[in-house]
Amino acid sequence: MRIASLRYLLASTAIVSCVMLTSSISGFADTQNGVLKTSPSWSPASSERLVKLPPSYLKKSLERDLAESQLGAAIKNNNENIGHKGNTLSDLQKTIETSEGEMRLELRHQFLAEKRAYLDLMERQIDLNRQQAKTRLKLYEKMLKEFGSKNASNSSGVKQLIAKQTLARSRFKSSLAQVDLKIFETASFPESQYAVKHGQNIQAIEKLLDHIKQHGMNQSLTADGVEMTKEEFIRHMATEAEAELALTDQDDTILGYMAKLVALDAMALSEETMDAELADSSLPGNSSPAQAVQFFVTN
Amino acid sequence: MKNLYKMIKISFVSGLLLASQMANAGTLENLERERAQLIETFLDANLDTSERLSKIENSKPRLIDLERMVLRDDKLNGRNTPAIRKAFGNYDLTFLVHASAEKNRTLFDLWLTQVGITTETIMVATKVAGPAN
Repeated sequence: MRIASLRYLLASTAIVSCVMLTSSISGFADTQNGVLKTSPSWSPASSERLVKLPPSYLKKSLERDLAESQLGAAIKNNNENIGHKGNTLSDLQKTIETSEGEMRLELRHQFLAEKRAYLDLMERQIDLNRQQAKTRLKLYEKMLKEFGSKNASNSSGVKQLIAKQTLARSRFKSSLAQVDLKIFETASFPESQYAVKHGQNIQAIEKLLDHIKQHGMNQSLTADGVEMTKEEFIRHMATEAEAELALTDQDDTILGYMAKLVALDAMALSEETMDAELADSSLPGNSSPAQAVQFFVTN
Repeated sequence: MKNLYKMIKISFVSGLLLASQMANAGTLENLERERAQLIETFLDANLDTSERLSKIENSKPRLIDLERMVLRDDKLNGRNTPAIRKAFGNYDLTFLVHASAEKNRTLFDLWLTQVGITTETIMVATKVAGPAN
């Protein structure tokens, strides 16, 4: 009776594992063990506000926003559960090694059930990660659009004016020393108060800029050692989110193979149990007359 | 000769008009005011040569500072008003002191060239209008 129920359980594990395997490959299912799961939400602060933040702060602000959201809490909670489940699996694996007989069979079944639960948790984790990567990506795309519209909003007239102003300033800068030499060499008047003060201020500004360049928080303007503008930095973060999404697809594949292994293990266990049952049973053997030959050849 | 006076008058008036458009332009308004004063000095028939030169030399330091203030003023970046457009449309005319030092010419000489008055145009005007009485 006990063996029959065990066999039933093992068979059901195998079937459920197979079903899970297919759902893992086709994408995350909202139902798990018959319970409908709602997706926790994350709505980051508006991109208009974020686009104004310095890049280093922008990244941290987003991370904090995620941590404070339902989605962030769900990821953290699920991650903890995965850790606990991993410990359970490790403990079970060690116990199986030292156990024997029916106890071992029971433990192996439990090990399979726990592996399935672990895969459930992992599947949910992948889905949550995918959700946060998609949200991030959408946000970055929105921010990049805002950058684009800002640049596009300049009419051709404004663009022409900016070009002329840039040209005038570069001409002024390049001729400044020459002009100073000519004017102040021959002129009877000294440098004006504005010129003196401006020179002092420029020195102060340069000192401050030097410190800003060397400041730790300013280093985050670089990614992978390359200095970037804010727009480039957001594009870089969008690429990272895109990579995260691509990796979740790969994680899905790994999970699918894990589920397949669980299903195969369950089938093997089921077969092993059936073999043991058949060995114990009094099923009629198929006797051959050749086995009784010795009774007839000796008196 | 009448034509020459007419041309100079037009340049002067257009300079003043430009200055009047600078109502809220800040640094540029101040520069245009100073430039208008300089042009008035150029054209003031009551001044003799030494007085004119002295007045021009006196306005130079102020013009240098004002020209630099305009060129360094970030508030003017991309502000597409007629005054700012016109000011940056001709560097030599707006930033007269810097351009004259750069080109090694006197302020008056450069200004005349920029408003289109050259020896050739004066000669043509003389030939068309006839010699002055």
